[in-house]
Amino acid sequence: MLNSLSNEILPKGKKSIFKNQWFFLLLAEVVLAIITGVINSRFFTLSNLTNILEQIAVLGILASGMTALIISGEIDISVGANVGLVTCVIAMMIKNDISYLWVVIIAILLSSFNSFLVGASSIAFKAPSFIVSLGFLSIFRGTAYAITKGVFQTIYGKFEALGLTRIGGLLPLGFLIGIIIYFAIHFILKYTRLGRHIYAVGSNSTAAYLSGISVVKTKLYAFLLNGFLIGIASMILLSRIGAAQPTTGTGMELKAIGAVVIGGTPLSGGKGNIFGTFLGVLLMGMISNTLNMLRVNPYFQEVVFGLFIVAALAVSAFSSYKGTFKKKLLKS
Amino acid sequence: MKNSKTIVELKDIVKIYGEHVVLKKVSFELKEGEIHCLIGENGAGKSTLIKILSGAVSPDSGEIYISGKLIKNMTPRLAVKLGISTVYQDTELVDSLTVAENIFLGEEKTKNSGFLVDRNHQNEQSRNILEALGIEISPDTLVGELSTAQKQMVQIAKALHRNAKVIIFDEPTSSLGLEETKNLMNLVRNLKEKGIGIIYISHYLSEIFELGDRVTILKDGENMGTYEVKAVDISTITNKMVGRDTSLFFKKRKVNIGEEQVEIKNLSKEGIIHDVSFSVRKGEIFGIGGLVGSGRTELVSMIFGIMKPDKGEVRIKGKKLKINSPIDAIRNGICFVPEDRKKYAMLLGRNVVENSTIIYHEIQQNNLLNLKQELNLCSSMVKRLSVAVSNRDQLIEELSGGNQQKVILGRWLFDEDAILYIFDEPTKGVDIGAREQIYELMTELAEKGKSIIMVSSDMPELISMSDRIGVMRNGRMIEILENKNIKEEELIKLFIGV
Ligand SMILES: Nc1ncnc2c1ncn2[C@@H]1O[C@H](COP(=O)(O)OP(=O)(O)OP(=O)(O)O)[C@@H](O)[C@H]1O
Ligand SMILES: [Mg+2]
Repeated sequence: MLNSLSNEILPKGKKSIFKNQWFFLLLAEVVLAIITGVINSRFFTLSNLTNILEQIAVLGILASGMTALIISGEIDISVGANVGLVTCVIAMMIKNDISYLWVVIIAILLSSFNSFLVGASSIAFKAPSFIVSLGFLSIFRGTAYAITKGVFQTIYGKFEALGLTRIGGLLPLGFLIGIIIYFAIHFILKYTRLGRHIYAVGSNSTAAYLSGISVVKTKLYAFLLNGFLIGIASMILLSRIGAAQPTTGTGMELKAIGAVVIGGTPLSGGKGNIFGTFLGVLLMGMISNTLNMLRVNPYFQEVVFGLFIVAALAVSAFSSYKGTFKKKLLKS
Repeated sequence: MKNSKTIVELKDIVKIYGEHVVLKKVSFELKEGEIHCLIGENGAGKSTLIKILSGAVSPDSGEIYISGKLIKNMTPRLAVKLGISTVYQDTELVDSLTVAENIFLGEEKTKNSGFLVDRNHQNEQSRNILEALGIEISPDTLVGELSTAQKQMVQIAKALHRNAKVIIFDEPTSSLGLEETKNLMNLVRNLKEKGIGIIYISHYLSEIFELGDRVTILKDGENMGTYEVKAVDISTITNKMVGRDTSLFFKKRKVNIGEEQVEIKNLSKEGIIHDVSFSVRKGEIFGIGGLVGSGRTELVSMIFGIMKPDKGEVRIKGKKLKINSPIDAIRNGICFVPEDRKKYAMLLGRNVVENSTIIYHEIQQNNLLNLKQELNLCSSMVKRLSVAVSNRDQLIEELSGGNQQKVILGRWLFDEDAILYIFDEPTKGVDIGAREQIYELMTELAEKGKSIIMVSSDMPELISMSDRIGVMRNGRMIEILENKNIKEEELIKLFIGV
């Protein structure tokens, strides 16, 4: 009875799907797949598709943490360096045959601690997290150089399960973990009080504070969550490539931020969701794969990659113009 | 007046948001030197109509004529060029620039090199404009240091500098005090003398009768008629507007007042609040009046834990509270509806449901949310306060001003155990019909034995709702009056201190 009442008073909003960011993303992905498939039929082989899934697992996990962080109004550009430091540390542990249990514990503690440091400093010094994390980027990377003395840390034949297992010989374990994490983040954002706090703080931190929400705690949780996921991503990454060096993970934060923004979460915070991020990550993965398939010169790949990101952003900007653009076109 | 030229003509304007037709073929006309008032309930479409005129929103159909010329594609830039300026409530000024820099923003005067800004010249000219308007603000003060009223004055000066032919005021007095309202109204008359056409939106009908030449009434996006103000009376207007008679003074039911429940003792903060003490009883509405800047908002924000007092205490039911932040205040049963809703209350970019249940979740402290129950709570609030909202995904900023206020107020109604409600300008931007609803709600709260502190600049509201009135002047509560036959004039004298 009450339910029908609420449906009457507050019906679901009807939004044209053309105003939805994910519609354009999905469209771009389908078009890209068809074009690549036509040029190179190997694209649609099972092995290539699972390859893509394996490649986007790590990026997806990083982008999930980044989504929550950006919604809360913060950002962390030391993520790549954090990954570098963590992979180096655990690679050295694995080389020295320390038990995997400790490897997992240390990976997660270290990455969470690093991320917490970034958040806590930014809050304590009242400095934007963008700047603070830029400083920590150097600290993490430098520490990784110091402890490895710049030496490549290989772990051939060890710690392979996480990155190389394929369930039923098909589905990469890393991707499955990624999917679980997407759902977990979605759950947190939508169905928990912490999720509400994250949106509220990112939308208007003063109003959140006056409503009895602890802004500091909420932001620290978002940083910790991000750190935790960085730990998991680092392990999967190391397991998959079997070696680590201080530069491991370089630039990953930018790809993650790119995927989040393309997925419709604005850098200004307070808005966005994980489904968009998933599509953003998928697009990123497909672009990389396509460039390889089409045998584009690796140097040139970077350029094309950047162009794709800009193009995707342009599309999303147009779609958020909400038809005013279309109307102007019609009028002139 | 009769034979003066028409400057603005809007013809059959239609605006649709989603499936909601906000303006249904509305026509509107403004003449030179005319003050044309626009009134209507919250969500009637007033702001939308003027946003269309100023180019901020584009209509779905209809025509805009400026000085007889059809304007095909109105943009904010073009509107300014055609001499149409808007004085917004939440001002569009840049806080970190000076008054003069704001007035010249976008068209800086440069020295002969064409590169350096000519500060002296800008200051000089700004001073002339301000003086001509009788505004006492120095052109080199930072805008961030000005009060809301002063910022509005600067906006007017800016409009004049741009040779405005039309100035639009959207609820200019809703955050002004008495004196400031008077000044503003004089200024508006002054502009009219200069031959400027003025569109004036307000929920205060007294202002309409004092200022207006003509009045147009909007209801649910339809033009209910345009009248000469001289030839129309209040009941005709309210009838057209809300469909029934409403009086300006609310007749509050008598509520039984119990024992003392809230005690404020010697609250002080250097340079802001000096030694304020008062108490509020069960079922009592304690009004706080005074001029803008007399420390009313600062006083209540200290009670709510936003600002830390140097000295003094807050007691509820005899117990001294330790309040270091709003979190503590809420846990101790204190509710607070701030004056500036955009800055302090609205979660922009979030929908009405989330905005209205934020307090509920903090009180329940459930880590997992029950979305169904949340939706039901929100619907009951929407129904109770008749919030005009079209669906559950509508963002709070997409509601009309008065409806935003209702949602912000409504979010505190889920706090069953609350003891003290603090309302800072509770009916800011709310239409006359809805104002009665809010008064009714406050009366109901009082009947449940809650204590209410109500800060208000609206005299009829202060006098008709308060059981006692505390008068603030220069950070002190100089007098506490029993509300028995208090006259507006007496109160004003106390506010000013003559
Ligand atoms: N961007 C938007 N998206 C959807 N609906 C909107 C948007 N802007 C306004 N509306 C709707 O249009 C209607 C008219 O709003 P408008 O702001 O013009 O009302 P108003 O007459 O100024 O009311 P008030 O007196 O409360 O300020 C409202 O019902 C509002 O919900
Ligand atoms: Mg309005």
